[in-house]
Amino acid sequence: MQHFNIITRRGFLDRSLKIGLGVALSTLTDIPFVMKRALAEGKIGLNGKKLLFIFLRFGNDGLNSLIPIEDPVYPLNRVKIQIPRSGAVNPYAATGVMDDPNLSAPGFPTYAFNAGNGFAALHPSLKYLAPVYNAGDLALIHRVGYPRQSRSHFDSQIYWENGNPNNNISKDGIFYRTLLESGLANTNPLTGVSIQSALPLLLRGSDAAMTNLSDPTRFRLLGLPNNAAGLSKATNSIVSANGFSSVDKLNRDLLNSQYKNLNIALNQFGDGSMFSETNNTFQDTVLGSGYYLFPTATAKNPNSVVDSGAYSFFKNLKAAALILNKTDAIIAGTELGGFDTHNDQIVHDDILGTVDPLSGGHANLQKRIGWAIYALQRYFLQHADKATWDNTVVVTLSEFGRTSAENGTFGTDHAEAGPMFVAGGGVKGYGKGRRTTGIFGCHTSDTYNGVSVPWIPGTTGKTGSMFGVSTSYLKRAVDYRSVLGEIIRDHLGATQSQLDRIIPAYSIAGQKLQSGGVTTNTTAEKTDGTTIAGELDIV
Amino acid sequence: MNRLFLFIAPAFVLSFLAVSAEPQLPSITNFSSIGPQRIIKWTPYPAAKSYSILSSSNLSGGFATNSSGVLSGFVWTVTNSSPVNFYQVKVTPLTSDELLTANVLNRLAYGPSPDDLERILTGNSPIGPNAYIAEQLAPETIAETVTNSHTNINLISARFAGPTNVIPESTNYASIDDFRAWHILRAVGAKRQLLEILLQFFENHFVTQYTKSLDYFDQFYDNDNAESRIATQFEYLENDKWRNALLNPTCTFYDLLKISAESPAMIIYLDTVTSKGNGSNIANENYARELLELFTFGVDNGYTQSDIVAMSRSWTGWTVQIVSPDKATNPFAPRTTKLLATSIAVGATNTTTVSNLAGVWAFNFNSTAHDVSPTLRPKTLFANAFVPSRFGAPYTTKFYGTNTVAGRYTLGFAARSGTNGIQDGYDIITNLANMPFTQEYISIKLCRLFVHDNFPNPSNDANNPAYNFYDYSGGNLSPEAQLVRDCMSAWESSSPMGQIRPVLQTIFSSDLFRSHGGSMQKVKTPLEFTISAIRALRSSTNGAFLPNTYSADTDGYNLVRTIGSSPGLLGPLLRMGNMSLFDRDAPDGYPEDAPFWMSAGTLAERIRFVQSMCIAVGQAGHTGTSETSTNDAGNNTFCSPVNLILAKLPAASRTNAAAVVDYMLNTIYPGEGLGNLNQYRTAAINFLNDGSADASPSVTPFANLAVSSTATAAYDIRVRGMVAYLLSLQRFQEQ
Repeated sequence: MQHFNIITRRGFLDRSLKIGLGVALSTLTDIPFVMKRALAEGKIGLNGKKLLFIFLRFGNDGLNSLIPIEDPVYPLNRVKIQIPRSGAVNPYAATGVMDDPNLSAPGFPTYAFNAGNGFAALHPSLKYLAPVYNAGDLALIHRVGYPRQSRSHFDSQIYWENGNPNNNISKDGIFYRTLLESGLANTNPLTGVSIQSALPLLLRGSDAAMTNLSDPTRFRLLGLPNNAAGLSKATNSIVSANGFSSVDKLNRDLLNSQYKNLNIALNQFGDGSMFSETNNTFQDTVLGSGYYLFPTATAKNPNSVVDSGAYSFFKNLKAAALILNKTDAIIAGTELGGFDTHNDQIVHDDILGTVDPLSGGHANLQKRIGWAIYALQRYFLQHADKATWDNTVVVTLSEFGRTSAENGTFGTDHAEAGPMFVAGGGVKGYGKGRRTTGIFGCHTSDTYNGVSVPWIPGTTGKTGSMFGVSTSYLKRAVDYRSVLGEIIRDHLGATQSQLDRIIPAYSIAGQKLQSGGVTTNTTAEKTDGTTIAGELDIV
Repeated sequence: MNRLFLFIAPAFVLSFLAVSAEPQLPSITNFSSIGPQRIIKWTPYPAAKSYSILSSSNLSGGFATNSSGVLSGFVWTVTNSSPVNFYQVKVTPLTSDELLTANVLNRLAYGPSPDDLERILTGNSPIGPNAYIAEQLAPETIAETVTNSHTNINLISARFAGPTNVIPESTNYASIDDFRAWHILRAVGAKRQLLEILLQFFENHFVTQYTKSLDYFDQFYDNDNAESRIATQFEYLENDKWRNALLNPTCTFYDLLKISAESPAMIIYLDTVTSKGNGSNIANENYARELLELFTFGVDNGYTQSDIVAMSRSWTGWTVQIVSPDKATNPFAPRTTKLLATSIAVGATNTTTVSNLAGVWAFNFNSTAHDVSPTLRPKTLFANAFVPSRFGAPYTTKFYGTNTVAGRYTLGFAARSGTNGIQDGYDIITNLANMPFTQEYISIKLCRLFVHDNFPNPSNDANNPAYNFYDYSGGNLSPEAQLVRDCMSAWESSSPMGQIRPVLQTIFSSDLFRSHGGSMQKVKTPLEFTISAIRALRSSTNGAFLPNTYSADTDGYNLVRTIGSSPGLLGPLLRMGNMSLFDRDAPDGYPEDAPFWMSAGTLAERIRFVQSMCIAVGQAGHTGTSETSTNDAGNNTFCSPVNLILAKLPAASRTNAAAVVDYMLNTIYPGEGLGNLNQYRTAAINFLNDGSADASPSVTPFANLAVSSTATAAYDIRVRGMVAYLLSLQRFQEQ
C-alpha cells in the first residue's frame, strides 16, 4: 500500500522547468540548482520509503552501549563504571541470535547480555533491542566517526548534521539536501518534519522550509477574539500578509518560508487531535496490554519500560511516527538529550563506597533507545498506513563517543568514534540473506568490501582499538556518511549522482566512503589516512 | 495606440543618511501599460518613510507629485486613460536620528516602548539617540527607578539572602521562578536597559544550569526547599556580581570571567566540583574544554586537545563547601561545624551530616584533590604556540607573559602543592582573558548581539574560508571583519586592558550599527520577543510610572512559570524553544542566530502568546489554568491598547482608523518606515473596519464605533485584534 503523488511531482517539474529556463535564458550562466533537481531521476519520496531519525545529543558513551566485552582492557579502563559480565560460563562465546533477556518479564538484566558475535555485549537496559535484532531488523554499528574528529559538541553536531566534516560554513543539513533532491520540498505540504524544541540543522536550508513542531498537541492559533470568527479573521490576515513585499534583510527569506510553512502545517494537522494524549492508545500486541508503545505518562508506563524522565521524548517520538505514517512526509525525527555524562553516569554512594553501574543517567538513556526502537517496530507493524515497517528505516546519530578510560568523577569525557543504531524491516541484519550477525565494527575479524578493519583487543593499560587515536580514544572504522549515504541511496532512492550532491565527499576517491580502504591524508580533503570499511550493505 | 514615455530616474533623497554602505536608491524596474491599467514597479529602499510618484508631461518641465494612482507595496497603479507622462519615483527615508533610535531601542534595550520613543525622538524635548547611547553606556549615572514600577521586584528582592546569611530552615526564600520573574521585570521596566541586555548576554555567555546545582545538592539534603534555595542563590549571586562589575566604568572582561570561574554554579555545572587529579583519578575535562571553546578563545582558536588535558588538571580542587558565613569569601575555609538549631531530627545519630550544618555554600579550594598524579607536576599550556599571522601586529609582535620570543604565548607554571595549587586557575584566567583569541571571539559575539548574525566563527586553518574573512594582516577587510578588528583594538588599548565599555562604544559608533546594516537584521529570541511585545504597548498612561498605571505589563512569573497546577500549562519562554532562564542544559548558551528559533511550531507559540496577551483578561484565550487551557499569556501579562490610544491620541483621531494604525505602526515598527509598511497599513485599516468577529457581528465602520475599553465592546475587540495582528507578523519577529 504505497501512496505516490506523481501529479504533484509533475506539477513541480513543469513549474521548475519554466523557472529554470527563464533564469537560464536571462543569465546564460550555470543551470540553476532547482532545475538540476527536477531533471534528476531519483525516487526519493516517490517509492514510499521513509526515514525516522533520533539524534542522541551530547555524545552517547558507546563503549557502555555496545560493549566490547571481550576486549581485556575494557574492565581495566572502566573500573567503576563497567557493566558487569554475566556470571555464566563463557557467557559471550555463543554466536548466532542475541540473548533474549526474558523479554516478557518487567525489569532489566543485571549484566551485559550477549550480542551473539562472540565479542560484543549490550547494556542490559537495551534489552528490548533483542527481538528487533533477532528478527534481522537491526544493525548495530560500532566505531562510527569521521576524519579529523572534533571533540567539541557543537562543531561535531554541525558536522553530523550538515554532512560536511570540518566545514562550519555549510549551513544546510544532510536531510534537507536529501529532500531538496526529491523535487518535492516546495510542492508537498510536508517532506521533512522534526518534533523538538527547534528545527535541527539536519533539516535546515535556504531553498525550502522544513517543519518543526515544538509541541504538536498545541499546534493551532487562538484568533482574536478566541472564537471561530476571530480565528478566521486573524488567520486570514496573517496568511495574506505573507504575500506582502519587503526590503531585503538578512532573515527575511527564512521568516517568509517559515511563515508559509506554518500555514501549511496548520492546514495539515487541523486541531492537532491526532497527537493528543487521549489518542495515545497504541499497545503492544506481543507483550500484551499495559505495554504502551509510547510511554508518555506514568499511566502509560505501568511496566516501567522506561524511566519517568522519558515521557516528553516519547511524546515527540510518537508524533514523528504518526506523521510518517499518516502524511506524505519522507523524513521525520526528534532528539534525545542528556548524553553528556562527564560525571555520575552511574549511581554511586561515596560514603558506603558502593557503585551501581546498572542505574543512573546513562542506563536510563539506554532504556529509552531500546524501547524506542522496539516500539517503532511494533507501531509500524501493527498500524501501518502510509509507512510500513518494511519501508521505514530508523537511524540514530550522536556527535561522538566518550573517552575509553573513565575519569575520576564516575563519568567519561568527549572522545571520537561511537555506535549507530539502524533498524527497519528492510535492514539487512542478523539472519537476512546469509548474514550471521547484525553487529558491525565490533569484532576482531571485521572485514568489509575486502578491507580489514579488525577491532584490536588491548593487552594492558591503554592499548588496542579503544586507544587507537593518540592512545586516548576509540578510533573510527566506519564513516557516518557511508551509513547515511547507503540509506539515502539504497533505501530512500537517491541516484548516485544525487548522493554525490547530498554528501559531497562521496565523489572524492580519497574519502573511501563507498568502497572503503585507506583514506588519503590531506588537509584539503580533510582526510587523515585512517582505514575505513566503506558502505556496510545494511539496507 | 498608446504613446508612453518612460523615464527611469534615481529618486532624490531628501534627508541626510549617516551610512557608509549607502543602499541602492529605488529604481523603476517595470513599467507596463496593459488594458485599463498603467503600472510602475520599483526596487524598495530600506527604512522608507514614504514613496511617491512624480510625473511630468514634458521633460523640460518640472516634475510634480502625481496623486491620481494607488500605491501598494512597491507598485503604483493608475488608469491607462490618464495623460502620457514621464515618471519618477521619490523616496523619503527616515532621518538618521529616526533610524538610529529604532536600532538603539531594538539592541540596547528590549525593544521600543511608546514612552522611550517620546523621550528620545518624538516628545516635546527629545534627547536624541546619541544621548541615549551615552547614558546607557554609563548606567551608574542613571537613577534606576524600576523597583517603583512593580511591587513584585521589592517583594522578591527581600527573598534573596545576603551573601553571609546561613542556610535557612524556613521556606520564604527566593525560588528560581522568583529570580526569573525579578530578572524579567527589570528587563521590561529598567531605565538601565543596556545593563539588563548585557547581564543577559554575559549570564548566557557564562551559562550555568540551575537544575545541575539542584541535582548536586540532592546528595546532601532531603529538603527540596533547601536545595532549591541554594541553587537559586548561586544563580542570583553570580548575576549580582556581574551587575555590580558592569556598573564599574572600567569593568574588564577578566572581572567577569573571574566571577564566572569562582561561581559555585559554574564549578558544579561543568563538573569541576568533583574533579580530582590525585591517585589514579583522571581529571574531568569538561570545564577546561568549555573555558577555551566557549568562554574565551572560541572553538579551535589557538588551543589543542593536549592543552585541555593539561588545563583540566589545573582546575582540580576547585570545589564548593559549606563554611561559616563570615568565611564565605575565603576559599581555604574549613567546613563549618556549627549546627543548625532546629533541624536535627530527634534521635539522629549523626548530627554532623551536612544537612545539619549551618553555614553558606561557597567556592572552596580542596588541595588534596588538586593534581598530584602521579607526582606533583609543573604544567605547560600552549607549548611553543605562536599567535597566527592573520592577527598581524601588535598581536604577532608583542611579548606574552614570560615568553622571550615575540608572538609566542606558551604558559607554564611550576608544580604547586597545598593551598598554592589554587594559583593554577588564576594564572590561567589571567592569561586567557586578554589573549587575541579571546578579544576576537568575545568581540564577534558582541557584534552578533548588537549588529547582525553574520559574523562567522574565526578559524586558523588556512583552508577554511573564515581564515581569510578574519585575516587582519592584509587589508581590504569586510565592514564586519573591520568592526571586529576595531573592537579588538579598543580592547587592547584600554587600560586596564580588556574593558567592556570601549568595545561597546566602538560598536555603537560604527556605521554598521548605526545604519541599515544594524536595522531589523536580527530575529528576536523568545525572551526578547515576549518582553518587546509587552514593551511595545507599555506606557504609564498617567505618567506616574507606578504599579497599575501601565497600558501593558507582566508580573514576570507568567513568562516563565507553569500556569496552574502540575503538570499545568508551561510558560511561553519554554514553549517557544525551551528558553528557561538560568537553566540551559548545553554550555553554549541560548543561540543568537535566527534559524534556531524559527520554525512552524515556535512561530505558532509566538503568535499564540501575543494573541492571548491581546485578548482581554478573563475572556476565552486569556483565562484558565489547566494544561489544555489557552491562557498562554497568563492572567498577569496583559495589555490594553485602547488605554494607550486614550493616553496618546487626541479624541478626534481615536475613531480615525488610519490615525490609529499609523500610531501603532510607528510605535511597533519604528525602524521599518511607513513607506515600506503600506500594505500592512491597508490591511490593518481594513481589519479595524471589519466587524465580522465583533461580539455581535456587524458592518459598522470603525469611524462609527463608540470608543470603549470594555472587553466586549466592538471598539475594544477590533483594536485588540488589529494590534495582535501587527504583533503576529513577520516584521515583529525582527529587531
